[in-house]
Amino acid sequence: MNAIFAKFRASLIVGAVTLGSISTQVLAVEDVLVTPSVKAVKAKQSLLLDIAKAGERLVAVGARGHILFSDDNGDNWQQSKVPVSVLLTSVVFSGENNGWAVGHSGVVLHSSDKGATWVKQFDGNAANKMIITQSENVVSALRSEIESAPEEEIEEMEYQLEEAEFALDDARFDAEIGASKPLLDVFFMNEKEGLVVGAYGFIFKTVDGGASWKNYGSKVENPDRFHFNTITQVSENTLVVAGEAGVIFRSEDRGETWETVESPYGGSFFGLAATGEKNTMLAFGLRGNLFRSIDAGKTWDQVDSQTESTLVSAVHNGEGDISIVGNSGAILFSDDGGRTFTESIRSDRLGTASVIFVKQDQMVIVGESGVHQTDSSGHNLN
Amino acid sequence: MSNPQNNPTAKTIEVVGSGNMAERLIFSNRPVILALFALLTAFLAFNASQIRPDASFERLIPLEHPFIINMLDNREDLGNLGNSIRIAVSVKNGDIFNKAYMQTLSEITDELFYLPGVDRSAMKSLWTPNVRWIEVTEDGFRGGTVIPDGYDGSDGSLEGLRQNILKSGQVGRLVADDFKSTIVYASLFETNPETNEPLDYKQFSLELEEKIRDKYRAKNPNIDIHIIGFAKKIGDLIEGIGAILIFAFVTIGLTLTFLYAYSRCLVGTLVPVITSIIAVVWQLGILNLLGYGIDPYSVLVPFLVFAIGISHGVQIVNQLAVEQALGFNPLMSARLAFRFLVRPGILALVSDAIGFLTLLFIEIDVIKDLAVAAGVGVAVIIVTNLVLHPVIMSYLGLSKGGLKHAKRVELHGDKKWRALSFMAHPSIAPISVLIAILGSGIGIYYQKDLKIGDLDKGAPELRADSRYNLDNDFIISNYSTSADVMVVMVKTPVESCSTYEVMDVMDRMQWRLENTEGVESTASLVTVSRLVTKALNEGSFKWFELSRSESIINSSIQRAPAGMVNADCSMTPMIVYLKDHQADTLERVVGTLKELIDQYPSENYTFLLAAGNAGVEAATNQVISKAKNVMLISVYAVVSILCFITFRSFSAVICIVTPLALTSILCEALMAQLGIGIKVATLPVIALGVGIGVDYGIYIFSMLETKLKEGLPLQEAYFQTLRTTGKAVSFTGITLGIGVCTWIFSPIKFQADMGVLLFFMFIWNMVGSMWLLPALARFLIRPDKIAQKAKAAVKVN
Repeated sequence: MNAIFAKFRASLIVGAVTLGSISTQVLAVEDVLVTPSVKAVKAKQSLLLDIAKAGERLVAVGARGHILFSDDNGDNWQQSKVPVSVLLTSVVFSGENNGWAVGHSGVVLHSSDKGATWVKQFDGNAANKMIITQSENVVSALRSEIESAPEEEIEEMEYQLEEAEFALDDARFDAEIGASKPLLDVFFMNEKEGLVVGAYGFIFKTVDGGASWKNYGSKVENPDRFHFNTITQVSENTLVVAGEAGVIFRSEDRGETWETVESPYGGSFFGLAATGEKNTMLAFGLRGNLFRSIDAGKTWDQVDSQTESTLVSAVHNGEGDISIVGNSGAILFSDDGGRTFTESIRSDRLGTASVIFVKQDQMVIVGESGVHQTDSSGHNLN
Repeated sequence: MSNPQNNPTAKTIEVVGSGNMAERLIFSNRPVILALFALLTAFLAFNASQIRPDASFERLIPLEHPFIINMLDNREDLGNLGNSIRIAVSVKNGDIFNKAYMQTLSEITDELFYLPGVDRSAMKSLWTPNVRWIEVTEDGFRGGTVIPDGYDGSDGSLEGLRQNILKSGQVGRLVADDFKSTIVYASLFETNPETNEPLDYKQFSLELEEKIRDKYRAKNPNIDIHIIGFAKKIGDLIEGIGAILIFAFVTIGLTLTFLYAYSRCLVGTLVPVITSIIAVVWQLGILNLLGYGIDPYSVLVPFLVFAIGISHGVQIVNQLAVEQALGFNPLMSARLAFRFLVRPGILALVSDAIGFLTLLFIEIDVIKDLAVAAGVGVAVIIVTNLVLHPVIMSYLGLSKGGLKHAKRVELHGDKKWRALSFMAHPSIAPISVLIAILGSGIGIYYQKDLKIGDLDKGAPELRADSRYNLDNDFIISNYSTSADVMVVMVKTPVESCSTYEVMDVMDRMQWRLENTEGVESTASLVTVSRLVTKALNEGSFKWFELSRSESIINSSIQRAPAGMVNADCSMTPMIVYLKDHQADTLERVVGTLKELIDQYPSENYTFLLAAGNAGVEAATNQVISKAKNVMLISVYAVVSILCFITFRSFSAVICIVTPLALTSILCEALMAQLGIGIKVATLPVIALGVGIGVDYGIYIFSMLETKLKEGLPLQEAYFQTLRTTGKAVSFTGITLGIGVCTWIFSPIKFQADMGVLLFFMFIWNMVGSMWLLPALARFLIRPDKIAQKAKAAVKVN
């Protein structure tokens, strides 16, 4: 036995020597932000988080930078060219051709060919830099203001300066870690104007189709840095954001200024959705909590969701049919504009992350196990 | 011409000569020889009785292979990744949500808890407190045991149980997808920490049967029990070895019957069997003295030794009959038989022995053990069957009845042998050679499908329809689990196994692997980190990603399951679950892994292949496929060289070796068609088959040459060979074939495979030596030359 172990040791030493000679030509592993997504057989069956329509085309996004598209209502799927391989969390199209997808590492991608190829417009590193610059500006502005400020305001301003300096430290610290914060939702009002929201209160706006972004974080009252999980438009100029710990914010000027809404719920919202009726929308989240607003998000009434599963995404077909999907196989269906719902549970009990209507009584859902074609109660077709 | 009846022979030693020194030494000191044998046999029998079964895991694997070196090097850290037991308790009618079922499950959980060897802290079942449900609420996590508080078996509490199971995420793991069975899981201690004794697999497996399966099936007729795990498999294997004893008796019984039918002489029947058994006793005794044990593979060697002993014994009995029929007394007959057979006998046995020793090229201990055991056995036969046997016979002689029977058979059988002698006829021989060429062509064609390694699913050591494999099928098809696991060991500096860099590379590799054919899924610290990061973010799938932030990574793996990371975070396993363990799958996955390792080089980590049963099998396959050709070339080289040395003729070598080569080709084709892969169990058979097959050719060629030297034409010489040696060869081939046939009924799959293949090789080698050898001789041998040479040699003398 000892002889055997002696032999092991000998071969280990030999192994170490050869390894040493190889390691002189080390190639660094490329960061996920610059590693293009790989075409993979199983992309269709692995985690997908959102699905949207580009005209008649379906586009779904998910794990490892996977973006898939289908021109036949989900029968066949192709994989898009994507320059990153991070988890993509949300996708939206404005018109047939222009789409945006967001995801981890603060990435924003843009496609102008109905989702077949994508380019990176923005990422967490750019966001970090932007926030540092902004914070530095605030700090230096405050410093110069203090010099010329009247005596009685100085104490208050020094307090503000201290806060600003903390914020700057935080921003620098975040930048050191790298692009670690995910964007969680994206919404475009037209081909130029759009917003992205994300972890720890990330909110950015573009007015040039994503070519440049501005940090709107300071425009929203979020001292606890709660995650912003979802954003949607409820009428021409009105946008609503909701997130962790039940926070809800409204903007009536296309996202320029935001007001805090009194929330009907203290748990997290994961989704907001219009219902097709004027000024009517739904908010939903943890443990089946579901609320409906008929005044564009100012006030909310609880709706019986029939489920205790967390709800994450919803869609309407313009005719009063609404589907809400969530964790643990839960699929909710309403045919009365979201007043009442019936729940069904998918047999695999896996999570669904997003849903879209493609035909009468036919939906395409994406989630934990990729993409599936289902009927309106979430049962797999074929 | 040389009809023995008319041959005027003198019956004294003066006429036939006293033979060489060995013969004189042996036959002048018969009592001393017998006493010596008796003493040695007694001593070795005592040693043989001391031989220990030796079924250790390490002897089954190629210890020199880098995969295995890596695995054993990290054995401590890999912990009990493999050594666990799963007991699936299934319901026959209804589902698991009934009071009686839950009661039985609880009792089984308790019973297992108290079995020695079970790591109680790592046990899992619906009834253990570590199986919990968790849900995210507005105020954080909420959870509890899956058995609801105040469980009383009522419909209400059973409904609570159902809800808790759904929330626990155990469906597919501890609870079957169809809710008709649940698993009781336990990991086992290799060494019992209380007694410091190694786990007794046989005993543990037996207790599982008695205290769990039998007991609770009787107690609750509505349930069934399925048990899998390394310990159970080894237990079943050890139990299966017991069947070998039955095969031993059957083989001895069959041999006795056949021998008696053949010789009609009690002495001619019993003496070969007894001397062969003595050979086995010596072999086992010597092995024990050399410090070897008996394992499931080498347990078959005594059969071979017995078989080879009989084969040579029959030649001696046969030759004795010839000599006694000529009128020699038993002593003289024995001397003449010895004189005539000692050269081909030793040649045959030495070729056997050296042929077996070529197995030493294979760096797997059980095969090396097999080589040593077989080598020792054959060496022993030289003494027992070539020396002891004729010495005993010199006292006893064959009975008159036996001699009469031999004569009768001779008269009867001559017709048959006469017909068979046409195999050496100039117009038949070319047809035979053509058939042989055609046959090898067909063989080579079908041989293409031959695979390396184990091909069947489940535990390949056991039969597909064995209880273990049926249980395995049940669990595989009802739970999300795979029996075939390859583990890559990821080594890093201390406290760096979970850095973003390492985790990111593992993640990329896992995805590539998951997209490789044959991979079902993968798991690593990254998998854990993703799951927990998601859970810590209120179960939102939008957080199902590996974070760049070390603090998020660290908090996500704080409670990683045991075995996923070692104590100082310098090693973490990347686990690849495979669809099966076929050689193609293993090669493909190992290939992908090597590619990936080259693709992501860094000084900060090393990916080491490979542990897990699939890692071991991949290593074994590599060793075997590399060794296979080396072994075949050496065994043929050895046999050819020995034949050449003995017969001093290339033609002789071709005549003897060609039929063997044909058998080898056809045997591989047969393996391919029967779905038997080249593996630890079957590779030795190829060498053993050649080694044993060469005996036939040597005996036949030796006799043929003798007859040719007497000046007989080829066909007549072959006729004379057939009616003496040929008779013995055909008898031996059939007896041995039927003897090994019994193995086909072994509960151990690889023994059955060995049985099928050895049966084929014994029979087909016999056919080859009697059918193809003379045909080749027709083309290659010049009888006139041999006769001239023989005359010249006599003149010189």
